[in-house]
Amino acid sequence: MASEGEAAKRVPIREDFFTTPLWPPEQVRLRGLRCRSCGEIFLGKNVGCQNCQGTDMEDIELSRRGKLYNYTIIRNRPPGNYKGPDDPFIPFAVGFVELPEGIRILSPLTGCDIEDVRIGMEVELTVEELYDDDEGNQVMAYKFKPC
Amino acid sequence: MREVSIVGVGIHKFGRFGEKPFTEIGVEAALMALKDANMAWGKIQAAFCSRVNLPSTTGLRVLTQLGRTGIPIVDVEAACAAGGAALRQAHMLVASGFCDYAMAIGVEKMPRGFIDPEMLYDKWQVHVGLSQIPMYWAMRAQRHMYEYGTTVEQMGMVAVKNHKNSVHNPYAMYQRAFTLEEVLNSAIVCDPIRLLMICAPDEGAAAAIVCPSQEAHKWSSKPIKIAACVHKIALYPHTSAPAYTGSAKVVSPFITEYAANAAYEEAGLGPEDLDVVELQDTEAHNEIEATEYLGLCSEGGGGPLVESGATEIGGRIPVNPSGGLISKGEPIGASHLGQVFEIVTQLRGQAGERQVDGAKVGLCHVLGAGGNCAITILKR
Repeated sequence: MASEGEAAKRVPIREDFFTTPLWPPEQVRLRGLRCRSCGEIFLGKNVGCQNCQGTDMEDIELSRRGKLYNYTIIRNRPPGNYKGPDDPFIPFAVGFVELPEGIRILSPLTGCDIEDVRIGMEVELTVEELYDDDEGNQVMAYKFKPC
Repeated sequence: MREVSIVGVGIHKFGRFGEKPFTEIGVEAALMALKDANMAWGKIQAAFCSRVNLPSTTGLRVLTQLGRTGIPIVDVEAACAAGGAALRQAHMLVASGFCDYAMAIGVEKMPRGFIDPEMLYDKWQVHVGLSQIPMYWAMRAQRHMYEYGTTVEQMGMVAVKNHKNSVHNPYAMYQRAFTLEEVLNSAIVCDPIRLLMICAPDEGAAAAIVCPSQEAHKWSSKPIKIAACVHKIALYPHTSAPAYTGSAKVVSPFITEYAANAAYEEAGLGPEDLDVVELQDTEAHNEIEATEYLGLCSEGGGGPLVESGATEIGGRIPVNPSGGLISKGEPIGASHLGQVFEIVTQLRGQAGERQVDGAKVGLCHVLGAGGNCAITILKR
């Protein structure tokens, strides 16, 4: 367990995406909402159900493991205010990860060579520091890695 | 509702024009459309201007150069489908009888390179790097290859065909043919998409003047009827830019199929009636997929379709005889009206070396951010 001081310095890239605390990372899960009318699952907060327009939503925690539905490799530095490794830029894979709950989540992939990424590969959530913000906080974001 | 026809079209070449202001680019297309209809500006009773990257009152600033006639000039924005949304407004106004003469004009001046991602994505998506537009089509392409055996070579053939067609289109940006080898050996942008398979944002304008079909022969010896003009937004689940989730449970028609079904119904026509198609080839795979969703071939058949030569000029169903966005570039607000210009030109038999012989019915399709899709079906 990290000390109080250290833990206070970790902030999520979007508060509604993660369970707390953000440490240790292997215990963090993505969270979202499930529509009580149609059962559709959403990542993070949602005003209502995009599928059936229902408004009765319940909080859920999502599985940490899933399968890669599709992917591509980002070969050039993403435009604008990209906060990942920049000098030099490191190409990375992204893809939609399908979780057992039936939601697909777009995510960067890590922990494997970009040439080895394959549709259908088993992947697991990892929560990692993306960058330090102006207040010196570690901003934590989600990725998936082969498992 | 009255049947509506296009009696004048105009275009300003798509490309890069340095310091030339959008007001000059736009007014050239407007003047060409008015001249084509042999119509005075004072006859136009309403105008809709599609633009995405230009400031407030773009249409007003372009068109009041021709005279302040007091008519409403309204800017319309719906990402890559903006031009379809503008034409639809003009079409509805005339079809309903609110007015007799309306103009739809698309004008654009895009920044170089990638579009500022914060126009489209949340800040956190930009920070993580989930904000390259081509990546969405690349991911769809990878899945298409996995499910149907589509090949990178087939995607390359789309680019070769469209670049080749553009050689004969004086309004296209590149007008340069490339070999399959050159396309496949160009830099990978997002696997499997190569640089020469992708469209560049650029500048340009295009315009169309509409009136009731019963009035059309006063203005044009070759009026072109609007058989359908639809604009739809993707149903849930939408997984193109800027989406960051999708569903493995809910299945709904892909937006192009959804909009095409509505357009075919409005027109009383089907894909078998089409002679020529201009469609959104943001990347080469996008064309393969769109040919399937428009019903030009079976599901998964888009790769073999282009490989067979069916989508070449002279083939069973020519696609993007103008050269498509891959070679014209995409001035987002103007791209659909540019397609309309091309199809009107084709249906009038005035397309010169890129003419599709005997074309009577044509379709224009654009698709972009947020699942915005517009389809216009034209017939002579």
